[in-house]
Parts: sequence; structure tokens; C-alpha cells
Amino acid sequence: MTDAGATAVAEGTLKGGGGSPSQAPSKALRSPWTAVVAVAVLFLAAFPVLSDDLYYQNMFILSMVFAIGAVGLNVITGYAGYVSLGQGAFIGLGAYTLGICVNDIGGSPWVWVPVAGLLAGAVAALLGVVAMRARGHAFVILTIAFLFLLQLLATNWDELTNGTGGITPPLPTWSVEYQNWPYYYSLMGLLALSLLMSWWIRRTKFGMGLIAIREDEDKAATVGVSTPTYKILAFAASAVFVGMAGAIYGYYIAFIDPLGMFNILLSVQIILSLLIGGRATLWGPVLGAFLIEWLNETSNNEFGGGNARLLIFGGLLTLVVLFLPQGIIPTVGGWIERWRTRGKAGLAGERLSGIDLRERAAPAPAAPAASAAPLLEVKGLEKRFGGVCAVDGASFTVPEGSITALIGPNGSGKTTVFNLIGGTMAAQAGEVWFDGRRIDGPPWARAHRGLGRTFQITRLFGEMTVLENVVAPLREFHVGLLNANAVSGREAGRAEELLDFVGMRKYRDVRASALSYGQQKLVELAQILMLDPKLIMLDEPAGGINPTLIERIGEMIRELNSRGKTFLIVEHNMPFVLGLCNPVLVLARGQTIASGAPDEIQKDPKVLDAYLGEDFRLEQPVGA
Amino acid sequence: MTEFLQALILGLLIGGVYALLASGLTLIFGVMNVINIAHGAFLILAAFVTWSLWRETGLDPLAAIVVLTPLMFAFGWLLYNATIRPIRRAPPAASVLLTFGLALFIEGLMGEIWGNTSHSVRPGYFTESFQIGEIFLPKAQVYGGLVAICVLASLYLVLTRSWLGRAIRASAVNPQGAELVGVKVASVAALTFAIGVASAGAGGAIASVLYPFLPGSHYQWIARLLGIIVLGGMGSLPGAVIGALCLGVAELMTVTYIGPEWATGVPYLFVFVVLLLRPQGILGMRLRQDVATA
Amino acid sequence: MHKLRWLVLALLTTAVLIAAGCGDDDDGGGGGGGGEASGDPIKIGASLPLTGEFSEPGKAAKQGYEVWEAMVNESGGLIDGRPVEMVIKDDQSNQNTIVADYNALISQDRVDLLLGTFSSLLNLPASAVAERNRMLYVEPAGGAPELFERDFKYLFFAQQATADKQGEVWANYIVDLPENERPKTAAYPTLDDPFAQPTSEGIEAILEPAGIKTVYRETYTIDNPNLDGIASALKARNPDLVVHGATFEDGVGMVRALRKANFTPKMLYQTTAPSLGDQYSGALGKGTTEGIFYGVSHSKEAETPGNPEFVAKYQEMFGGEEVPEDAADAYATAQVLQAAVDGVGTIERERQIELADWLRENEVDTILGPLSWDDLGRPEGEFLVGQWQSGVPEIILPEEAATTDKIIPGWQPDGAG
Repeated sequence: MTDAGATAVAEGTLKGGGGSPSQAPSKALRSPWTAVVAVAVLFLAAFPVLSDDLYYQNMFILSMVFAIGAVGLNVITGYAGYVSLGQGAFIGLGAYTLGICVNDIGGSPWVWVPVAGLLAGAVAALLGVVAMRARGHAFVILTIAFLFLLQLLATNWDELTNGTGGITPPLPTWSVEYQNWPYYYSLMGLLALSLLMSWWIRRTKFGMGLIAIREDEDKAATVGVSTPTYKILAFAASAVFVGMAGAIYGYYIAFIDPLGMFNILLSVQIILSLLIGGRATLWGPVLGAFLIEWLNETSNNEFGGGNARLLIFGGLLTLVVLFLPQGIIPTVGGWIERWRTRGKAGLAGERLSGIDLRERAAPAPAAPAASAAPLLEVKGLEKRFGGVCAVDGASFTVPEGSITALIGPNGSGKTTVFNLIGGTMAAQAGEVWFDGRRIDGPPWARAHRGLGRTFQITRLFGEMTVLENVVAPLREFHVGLLNANAVSGREAGRAEELLDFVGMRKYRDVRASALSYGQQKLVELAQILMLDPKLIMLDEPAGGINPTLIERIGEMIRELNSRGKTFLIVEHNMPFVLGLCNPVLVLARGQTIASGAPDEIQKDPKVLDAYLGEDFRLEQPVGA
Repeated sequence: MTEFLQALILGLLIGGVYALLASGLTLIFGVMNVINIAHGAFLILAAFVTWSLWRETGLDPLAAIVVLTPLMFAFGWLLYNATIRPIRRAPPAASVLLTFGLALFIEGLMGEIWGNTSHSVRPGYFTESFQIGEIFLPKAQVYGGLVAICVLASLYLVLTRSWLGRAIRASAVNPQGAELVGVKVASVAALTFAIGVASAGAGGAIASVLYPFLPGSHYQWIARLLGIIVLGGMGSLPGAVIGALCLGVAELMTVTYIGPEWATGVPYLFVFVVLLLRPQGILGMRLRQDVATA
Repeated sequence: MHKLRWLVLALLTTAVLIAAGCGDDDDGGGGGGGGEASGDPIKIGASLPLTGEFSEPGKAAKQGYEVWEAMVNESGGLIDGRPVEMVIKDDQSNQNTIVADYNALISQDRVDLLLGTFSSLLNLPASAVAERNRMLYVEPAGGAPELFERDFKYLFFAQQATADKQGEVWANYIVDLPENERPKTAAYPTLDDPFAQPTSEGIEAILEPAGIKTVYRETYTIDNPNLDGIASALKARNPDLVVHGATFEDGVGMVRALRKANFTPKMLYQTTAPSLGDQYSGALGKGTTEGIFYGVSHSKEAETPGNPEFVAKYQEMFGGEEVPEDAADAYATAQVLQAAVDGVGTIERERQIELADWLRENEVDTILGPLSWDDLGRPEGEFLVGQWQSGVPEIILPEEAATTDKIIPGWQPDGAG
């Protein structure tokens, strides 16, 4: 969302429910920030007409190139959280494409600009494929290696690139009166397009998925976000406009060579611009780019010397990471928000009200219909961690339409079984059959088939709002769905309904990390429901929350079950389980030792033995 | 055949020095999960200091290790407490960016102090070689390799035989557990970083004799070191040694049979191939957060 | 609160407009057209790599320009007796910076004339800026052939030959040797550099057709030279002659690597490194340098017009025995500019094309000898050949410029001779 929208959201945090991003436009028009941006844009656009100062024109041109690079980098680094030090490579790729094509094939350089962009996007997608298995450190190292490898190729592949001799594109054919105008205005246009792309991505489901990947990639996978595809798309998006900007840059500089075009300092300048301006904001990269380039030029004039640049960039990078990791715009935004909300209570502290707690006697859980087909079948699952055998041949079935419990003493392997079923861990042996078919794929594929699970310790995407958290899950992989508006429209509407169901609608614009534990649990449930799952696996839904909320959750489970959802619940809270679930499966030391109706399980000696040991005998049966 | 043997031997000799340098980097990663991109800059800094010492006092660079190691140790310890410690809870990318910033800063500093032209240290034995049949073994490489092995061996002894070494290994494997048994993990981290930088110092002193260097040389060095630890397995000391020898030989073979201009690319190739096929490297443990469970 | 917002907005807008006003210069450039009063200095702008990887030659070039500036002002200035003022910026050996610098020189400092920079890599983008702005661009040290393939009208190179021709004189000397003295095989290790590589290839283009077989041709990069490996490969192939395209450190490094490998080819030719006087012999030891051939553009002892005066002035201003080649090249460049300005009699921006045309039609006497150019700005002269003899760098060819008659037949490190 635009920063005008962010301001609106901040206000919305106070008023609860109001000021959602969808109301942003009218507020945006009145916000002073928009006015500042408008003035700056007008100034930038008018400058070459008003002044023939080549020095400043040059500075603005370079600033725009870096701004486009930073806006692109924002998609993969800001939104998706993958830090890349290879962004400069796409500038070089774009420049070389233009240079080689113009000299070897001919035609006007402008024709080759879009080609350069497409090539850069394709190479980025390829890099995404290669980098699929790399995360964190490994990914950054890979991007550095990528940059240097390209530099080496450009240096050694003489026939194509003329090596260190470089390529000189033809001189401009237009009058010297408008020397820089074509470069200047085409770059402005590109910058506008990149910003549009960045803004658009941010408000679609696709963008939500990217941020989900940044916040918690493994959790994102379990809610249907097919992480490799998302990453490859993000990568390609991050490079296309940068490649085009690189082509124009090469044309402008009039000399394309490996040392200049694949210089690591280009990447450093781009990432520094992004970090200083503010990751994952819309205008942050632009602000950062203009600031850094201005600093660059000024330091050259005042202090002179290539070493001064190194000292400044290096020092700034270090200082930004240490002291200003958010960047300027989010930090200033945070100050403003804190100043505005001083003395006011946050929404998160309010009691959950408006939830209809119906007092009624809970009926005894009915046994599932005898004819119910098994929705989930687990056969002989095995999982070892080094010498420890966590799951040792567990087998059970979950009938369709039932609320099945999976209980067992600590360390019996329950959560591991969940992980194996959900696909976040690979089993050494055994099979999982879902809805009549054997499932084997990655977690998102299983989510698309209708499998949803929550986590013992709730995992939400902390930096996203509650609504965004619920919009992020992907029911099925479908381009139209990726493109869906996450802020308003059908998907957002559906998310709001689900939030309403779990009673969290008022919190739709609150940051997930600000919620209490119980509130997070409710939102996580809403996330799963967004997938429209057939089987919902809950890992300790009653753990760590107050009894009122436990009852509420129990009711929701019954409600959903009556609408056809099957449940598999891991729990320690016996009254909760025994009052809700039928059948009950018991896991001990990695194996299923019993299964049946609640009252059978209560009396089963094997179960008592597993929980309590031989010496202990219950005086009274645990009541339902 | 001679050409092959010659390349092999030169590769192994230089691999020994690489091993010393990579060991510091992998140690730092293993204990604190920090990829120290500034490692190359540290070693070049040590090379420059060695050069100045040699210029002013005639001190032999290999003997200068005695001076460089404690100097760089202190420098590393100070640097850790000033810059790395504050971000130890930040996501991994933060440490990469921070150390990159440090590397650039140090590069600029070296340029200001010593200038941007190539330097090399040239003690008397610099142009001499041992001759064994048709094969020549440059004395500088041999001495350098021997010293590197000695330093590496003492590092290994410290890690396996001393209490400090055990504390370091415990902190690497299980920081909370180590705290529980009385290890001050924060201090151990600082010491480990300092040891890592000290080993870069020793390696830098040796490297000053082997290759000409200028402030911008740190890129090529850190590329090599990253290639080595990725191949050997990040966090594994024996892996670093194996990776170093492999890289040294691969570089020489490339120079001899493919062409010197491609030798620069060997470390990058290592990185790509390893991260594609076997991300944990030869001896590394599979690090959950670094490899996606795809 | 509402008022505060609008106040901030108003302030910002005002600040922006003021900045715009500052950048708002009057249109119509008009360079130094109206120089009526003598005493009004003529501003000559250049950007040089004073820091970064080319800082050594960059600083020497600056010295050369400064010597010229001093000498011109002492002898009555340029055009109408106006003094000359050099405006020199530092491009940090970086291409983006040099483009910014020349743009600044033209539009902010409003210089009347331009002079070029060091290194083909930097001259390539800088000359494009000059060409676009239709200003004469004479440069001291950018000899890569690519510079002259762009059909530029304002570009001139002030040395005797472009890179590919710089080894020509020496190569012809080798080819003209009697059969029994001529080498049979040659190796060409070279640095990947727009100067070293074309020089090496230019030499090979003369030697190979004459029957001297190429047994090795490889390039290496400056940050990963691997000279031991190359020396080992050379030893295995045992060429009679090694032609090494180099700059400084790798030039020294290669000689050392060859000594380590115990391989001494009969003849050794290197670019750049051996021309750096004491630095070179100090690094290798005088005995090791005996007989090494090299190419160079300037000799301190040459009797070319203005050379003794230049050498004397340089030593007066900067001390020391040696005069760096790059300083001499820069001085010669300024001499060329001066000749053109004197020849046409104007420095007006709109008429700089006449300066360029004049250079194409005339020969200029410089401390490097007479220089003349073809239509594309390429010089048509002969580079000098030098050889280290008894620890002293001597010029051996062409004969007109030679400082000694003796030519040592090949490389004889610490050996006979």
C-alpha cells in the first residue's frame, strides 16, 4: 500500500476498523506526503527544460538508474526477504544486450531496450531456479558468485563482448540541444512503471505471499504458497525494469565494459539505497537512491578520491545495519505514529467482545457414520532423527466428517506425525493417503489438495496485518488468484467473513505481532479456513488459552464440522478431547497403540500405562 | 606428465595457505552463524602491515606472523564487540551486509594509508626454488605452506585439547546448553571471532609473499574462501582443509589446461555447483535454515 | 496539528523551488567567446585518476599538465597573452565519475578547452561527452583501437601510435634479424587490458607471418595473475622469445616467476613495466634486467623540440632524476592543444571544429617527436624501443632517437655481457 495508505492504517489502528487501505484514496489526496511527492515529481520532470546544467542532469539520470534498481530489488529483498548482492548484474546485462545487439544486428538502440529487459527477467528467473534450495547466507553468496561469474564471462568471451576492450554504442543521433532528454525522460518513465509494478504487487495476493515468505517461509508453504514459483516470479519482476534501465544507462555512458558494468559497487549502491530509504516501502528505494547518489557526487567533489567513496559507502552500510535497520521512511513513519498515538490505548488490549457464547450442554460426540470413508490414511510412517526414532511405524485412519483426536504422552511423536502428514518433513518410510490418493509432494501441494494445519506455537506473519495474514493463503495455483486484490475485492471480502466467524474482524488492520496468544490462534484458524480445506489438523488448539476461549474454539470446531469439515486434533486437554472427539487415536513412543471411542480409550490399560506408568492406577474414570 | 605434476604440487602448496585462511572463516561461521565477508579485507590488511614492517625494519614476513597474530587478535576482539555483537540476534542477512560494509571501509582505509598500487613483499629467498628432478618448488611457497600447516595444527590442538576449544565447540552446537554448563557464550563468541581474525592475520602475512596485493584484492580472496567453505561444508574445519586443497589444485589445473583467465572463476563455479547439488558441502551438517526443505 | 502539516509542506515546497532556482542557469552556453581583457585566464579542464587503480600514472599526468601550465604562463600565455588555468578533477579511476566530471567541467566550471585523461577505459566515455558537446579532446594515454572506431571528429591521441602499432618497430627489427639470430618460436602471455592486449596482438601479427611460430597465447586478469602457473607452462613449451603484455606489478612478477621456474627464454619483451625506471630495476635487481626489451613513448635524453626544457622544468618543480613517461605524454598533449589553438587563433566553442580540422592537416612538433593524425584521430608515428643495458634503460630504436648504438642480442640476467 502507498504510504498514504500506511498513514491511514495507523489511524485505523486507533479507531478500530476504520481507515482501511481501501479508503486510502480520498485520504491520500489530502495527505501532505502526497503533496511533497507531487512537487518533487514536477520538479524532476521540469528540470531539463528549465536548466541546461549538465552536471545535475547527469546526477538525476544516475539517481534514476539506481532508483529503478532499488525498486526492483525491493521486490525480492524488501517483500520476499531474500537479500541479493547481485542486482547490479542486471544493469550490466541490460547494457551488454543493448551494446551487442546494436553493434552486431543493428537498428536503433531504443528498439533493444525492451529486449534487454526481457533478457534480464529471463536470466533472473533462471537464477531463481538455481537458487531454489539456497536460503539466508547461501543465497547471498550465490548472488555474489553470480555477479562475478557474469563479469568473468563478459571479460573472457571476447567474440561476443570484446572483453575488456568494451563495446561502444553509437553516439546519439539527435540534436545537441536536447542532449540528455531522451535518456532522462525514458528513465523517468521506467521509474514510474517500476513503482507501479511495486505498488501493484504489494496489494495483490501474490505480494502477500511474498511477504509471507519473508516472515516465515515454511509456514507460508503450509498455507498453499508455492514458494519456488513465487520466488522465481519475484526474481523475474525484480529484474525486468532494471535490465531496461541498464540498457539506457549503457547507451548514455557510451562505454560498456566488464569492470564498469559488473562492478560490485553498483550492487552495493543499490542495496544501500534500499536499506536507507526503507525496505518494503513504495518510495523508500527512490528516496534512498537519490540521497546516496547525491552523497556520492558530493563526496567526490568535496573530498575527492575513490577511497572516500569506499569509506563512505562502507561506513554507511555498517551504520545503517547497526542503527537504522528499518530505513528512513519506516523509522520516521514510526515516530509519527508514536507521536500521534501517544496516550492512547491500543486495540489489542481490549477484551474480546461481541462473541456469542451460547450456554448449552454439549452433546456427547457422535461416532462417525459407519459408512464414512477414510479421508486420511497413514500407513507405517517412520521418522528418525539421528539415533532417535520419533515415529516408528505409526498407522491410523481418519474417517471423513469426523472430529478425530490424536493423543499421547509427551515425546510420543504427535507433532512429528503432523509434520509428516503436512509435508514439512520427509518420512524415511511409510505412506500417507489423502482423499483416496497417495500424497507425496511439498507442503503447498498438500494444502491445495485440501489439507490445512495449525502449529503448536502459533505461526503468523508478524509484520502483516491480520487481514493480510488471512488473505495470503493460496487455495489453488491460479494466475487469476495470484492477481487478486488483497486489500479489497472478493478475496479480501472472504477473509473478512472468516475473521468475522472467528471473532477477529475488528482487528483486521492490526499487525499480527501485536496480538495476544489467544487472538493469534483465532487468526491462524481463519488462515486455514481460507484454504477451504477438507481436513483441518489442529495442533493443541486448547493449549495456553483461557477456558472461555477454549469453549469458543470447541464451538467453532463443531460448527465447521457440521458443515462438512473433518478434523484431526492433537491435544493434551482431556476434557476438551473427550467431550468433542470421536474416534480418539493414541500414540506412544512413535506407534499407534489404541484407537476407538472416548470411553473405550479412557479404560484401555495400554493407554493408562503409556501415560501414567504401571504403578499408578486411576481411582475414578475421567468424566465426559 | 611433468606439467601435470608441477601444477599439482603448486596447487597443493597454495592450498595449504588457503586452508589456514579458510579455517578462520569457517570457525566464525560455525560458532556464531556469521558469514564474515570482511575476512578477505582482514588478510589484505595484515599483508599491508607485514609489508610496512618489512619495509621499515626488514623483518621477514614469515617471522612477522609472531607480531601480526596478536595484533589481529586484539583488532578482531574489539571489532566484534563494537559491531557484530549488537546484531547477533538479527537475521543472517544483516551480518552479511554489515561485514560487507566493514570490508569496503577497510579497503578505503588501506587505500588512503598505503595507496592503490600493487605491493608485494620480497624477501631474499623470493625468487629461489627447490629443484626436484624436473619439478621446481618455489621456496616462498614451500616455507609459506609449512608455516600455514604449523599454525593450522596449533589451532586444531587448541580446539580439541583445551577447555577454550571445547567451550567453542559447545557454543557452536548448542548455545543454550553451553550457558547451562557455565560457558559464557558471549565471551566465547568474541574470542572465536578474534581467533578467526588472528588466523586471517597469519595467513595474510604469508600471502604477502606469494601474490602481489592491493586494497581491491580482497574480493578475489573472499571469493576463494567462500568457495572453499561452501565446498568443504560451512562450519567444518576438516572440510575447510579439504576444500582448500581442492581449490588450490583446481585453480592450477585451470591455469595449465584451460587458460589463466578462467582461473578467477573456479571459486564461483564451486559455489554454484555445490549449492545446486549438495548444499551442505562435503563434510558440513545439513543446516535447516540454510537449505529449503523443498 | 493541521496547521503544522501545511507549514511543513509550505517550507518543503519553498526549499524545492529555491533549489530549482539555483539550478536554473541562463540558456545558451557560450563558452569563452567574449575574452576581451587580457589577463582573463583561459580555463582548461581535465579529469584524471588521482586515486584508485590508475593513480600512479594519473598523478604523473597531472604533473605533466602542470609543467606545461607553468611554462606557457612564463612565456606569455595563450592567445592574446592570456594566462592559462588548469582545472583538474579526480575521477577515482571510475567511469561514472569521469562522465560526471567532464559534464561538470563543461557546464559548471565552464572551461574553454578540454584535455584528456589516463587509460583507454576512462578516455572512452570521457571522449564521448566531449564529442557530444563539440569540444576538442586531445588525450595523453588512451591507445586502444576501439577509441578510434567511432567516427569521432574531435578526438586525438597524443602519442606516436595506437596500441596495436606500438610494438611495430621492435617486431620489424626482430623479423629483419639474420636467420641464425632470429628466434624460431614465441610465446604471448598477456594481461587482459585494452592496452597490453592489442600491443601483444599487433606484434604477433608481424612475427607470425614471418615464420616465428606461436607456441603459447594466453591472457590473465590483474587480480588473479597466477604467474607461477604460466611460468611453468612456458617452461614446458620452451619458446625462444617471450612477448609479455603487462603493466607494472605483473611485469615484475612474471620476471620473478620465470627465475623461480629456472626458465630463461633467449629474448624477453615487455610492455610498460620496464619503462618505469628505478621502480623496475629496484624491484628486480639491476642484473636481472639485462637485455629486456620494451616499448616507450618518451626518452629523457631525446633531442626533440622542447624536450630539454621540459625535463629541466619538471625536475625543478618535482625533483628527482627520472621523468615519468606519463608526465611527458601529458605535456605533449598540451603541446598539441596549444599548437592547434595558435594555428587557428581562437578558442570559441562553436569553432572548435576548426581546431580539430587544423590538427588533421598539420604536423605538430612535440617532445615525443613530430605527431600527425589520420581522419579518425589516430597518430601516424613510430613508437620507441628501449632496452635495459647495465642497469640503465636505453633507447635503441629508431636510430634517430637512439641513445646508444649497442643492442644486446637477448635477455641475459646476471649472465654474460
